[in-house]
Amino acid sequence: MLMAIGSLTAMGVTLGTILGAAAKFLAVEENPLEEELKAMLPGSQCGQCGFIGCGQAAAALAKGEAPVTLCPPGGKAVAEALAKKLGITADLSEHEEKVPEYAFINEALCIGCTRCIRECSVDAILGANKLMHTIIAEPCHGCAKCFAVCPTDAIVMRPIEVTLGTWHWSKPGDGHAVH
Amino acid sequence: MLLSTVQIKFMGDSINIEVVYALPHEQIVFKVPVPAGATVFEAIKLSGVLQIHPEIDLAKNRFGIYGKLSKADTLVRDKDRVEIYRPLIADPKEVRRQRAAEGKAMKKGGEA
Repeated sequence: MLMAIGSLTAMGVTLGTILGAAAKFLAVEENPLEEELKAMLPGSQCGQCGFIGCGQAAAALAKGEAPVTLCPPGGKAVAEALAKKLGITADLSEHEEKVPEYAFINEALCIGCTRCIRECSVDAILGANKLMHTIIAEPCHGCAKCFAVCPTDAIVMRPIEVTLGTWHWSKPGDGHAVH
Repeated sequence: MLLSTVQIKFMGDSINIEVVYALPHEQIVFKVPVPAGATVFEAIKLSGVLQIHPEIDLAKNRFGIYGKLSKADTLVRDKDRVEIYRPLIADPKEVRRQRAAEGKAMKKGGEA
């Protein structure tokens, strides 16, 4: 009994010390600013900024290699917040707010190639090889990656219509009508 | 006999899956708990999608899990999305022929 307790304690202490030392000496240096910027981006990994995902975009922002206006889905609000965080002023007067869109498939042109399905980062496309593909509108965040790869131009981007389900008050200072 | 096995299955663990049937303007996602060890066929039956869309014919409509066609007796796993597909309207060969006739190339390599 005592032997068991003793040996386990000794093991715990030794391994704990090794792990503690490893965490200290092998620590990966993280830029805290990068983490904060990442938290401000939408996080949908849509890739519209040209980076693989929001993490890479945040890294570029932190290094000052990307403009604060890089995020199309984030729009003006995210651009302003990023500029404030980075302590720079961004000229947003020219910035045109993009209306939220969703993808829609023209069924007469879909050939069931599954290419759009492989592109979708939110699994918003339902379909299989040589069978009809359909966009599930609710998860679609309008990144247009499927639109770009469709070989037959069957996918069109449509503005989200105002319905009882999608209407909301415009944000303060937005200056734009509801969408 | 069959009934009792179903009950035994239900007394065991249940898993949460989604059954989805999508039309251009209406997509319904059924979030349903099914007994562990249920098949795709059972999951579709349990979801109630057949009552809402009586046009679905499980002998004709193909179905699958996350974009991969599956058989009726495939077992579903936790968090699977069982999808019921509809046939294509267009003939892929015809679409390609038309695009070629209009002088438009198929994007990105072309082959599907």
